[in-house]
Amino acid sequence: MAVRRQPSRADIRKQRMLAAINFPLDWLEERSGLVGAVRYFLFRKVPADTNWMQTLGSATLTAFIVQAVTGVILAMYYKPTPNDAYKSIQYITDELTLGWLVRGMHKWGASVFIILMFLHMGRVFLFGAYKYPRELNWIVGVLLLVMGMLEGFTGYLLPWDQTAYWASVVGINLNGTAPIAGPWLAQFLRGGQEITGDTLTRFYSLHMLIVPGGIAALIGLHLYLVIRLGVTSPPWSKEAAGMERADEPQHLRPGLTRPVPRGGGGSS
Amino acid sequence: MAAVKPRPVDERRAEFARYKKDVKERGKPFHPYAMFHDTVMSLVVVSVITGLAVIWKWTSWGPHHDGLHQGLLGPEYTDPADPGTTSFVPRPDWYFYFLFYLLRIFKWPNSVFLGTVGVPTIALILLIALPLYDVRRERRLSRRPVAVVGAVLTVLSMAVLTWKGATASEALASEVIADVPTWIKQEKLPQNAVPGAKLFAVAGCTACHTYLGTGSSNLGAPDLTAIGTRNLGIDFQIRHLKDPASVVPGSPMPKFASLGEKRLHDLALFLEASKGKR
Repeated sequence: MAVRRQPSRADIRKQRMLAAINFPLDWLEERSGLVGAVRYFLFRKVPADTNWMQTLGSATLTAFIVQAVTGVILAMYYKPTPNDAYKSIQYITDELTLGWLVRGMHKWGASVFIILMFLHMGRVFLFGAYKYPRELNWIVGVLLLVMGMLEGFTGYLLPWDQTAYWASVVGINLNGTAPIAGPWLAQFLRGGQEITGDTLTRFYSLHMLIVPGGIAALIGLHLYLVIRLGVTSPPWSKEAAGMERADEPQHLRPGLTRPVPRGGGGSS
Repeated sequence: MAAVKPRPVDERRAEFARYKKDVKERGKPFHPYAMFHDTVMSLVVVSVITGLAVIWKWTSWGPHHDGLHQGLLGPEYTDPADPGTTSFVPRPDWYFYFLFYLLRIFKWPNSVFLGTVGVPTIALILLIALPLYDVRRERRLSRRPVAVVGAVLTVLSMAVLTWKGATASEALASEVIADVPTWIKQEKLPQNAVPGAKLFAVAGCTACHTYLGTGSSNLGAPDLTAIGTRNLGIDFQIRHLKDPASVVPGSPMPKFASLGEKRLHDLALFLEASKGKR
């Protein structure tokens, strides 16, 4: 009979250390299941042939996070009134320490965000990744694209300079040409008959509360569906997950109903 | 016994079941494999954004310590917003150029509705509903000819519209004013229409309207070379300039009430005197 070695004091100390380190995680896991969820997210399997084009989605998310962080910082210094808006933009750009960097990243991050959304959409189209069962996620993605462009439209007015002002005058008037809802929409965006301080605060509220809140919520749904339904293999891959394989006996594929050629006997 | 023809819904369910089995058996964990690629790509994105911000700052403000300086990526800001101003360029951010240019193709008033609402709405509905009408299981491009042709045409037309929108030139007031003597000669404008003609040249009208070939045709705005032949009347012209949408419902033209009664009257005289090339 093998003698079981008594655990040394060093072993016991190590065990206690581990338990102490794990305690907060265990505490959280027992009460929320969040640790398991994160572990599932990190260690879930993706197809082995996943490639670089499939990083465009997370790159878009990164651009959104850049917009959120720089936007929060800008909101600390920006003043949405006709008298102060332009001055506060000048202050942020010319005087505030690194203010130019934050504003520049926000302005150019917007373009990068839009470009990445289009590239990501192109990738999904190329891969046919919008097909069953991922239809809903394509629709959520297109809504995100529309809301992203709405962010661009509402953010453009905020510096309250000539470019911003006249682009918005014409943009709102164009909305007004739509039938039925058009005039109402233009009136709502302006907050009256003219573009005034009311328009500015309205655009500011849309730009930093309603639309980004909606985008964040839709991104959550988008990611949930990605994790639930999985990542698509490139369609040209020889090892694509889910492809029909000729070398496998048909009966091992329950539900696969490609008919066996008549008279030929076996599979090709 | 004849084989039962499989229903498409069963086929795609079977394919997804196969997909899940394959990923479980032969897939790799998201972390660290895909995570590594995602992290590298995200760092690239943040670097590009930072780089653009730096180039913007140091080519605009850098040389002259002036945020209005036109650097490589444009000025940091333009002059403060002034609702009373008359020389402006109604130009959106670049990702709206395709819509902006669409409005040069569709003219006010007959087909502007197509440019602002019709075409974009149909395109958006087709885009949103894509997975609902493209229901085949096939994912390989070589077996999706209709999808490929549709995508290529869409990308090409968006690229062309964006490019045309980006390179569309706006008429500068200083250039337009030089054409006024030609207008007076060709249209045989009476003396009392001359102040209005000069005002028309500098007040931003030609940012959207054309007149004897001068100006930019933007946002579906009509050519005004022979607007006087419609005999709309001085009163109508003034009311229209003050608040275009009140007499032409849905007009995207901005209000010009800030010009004041005297100048609006001059403009109206000029427009009514414009009877085309004579």
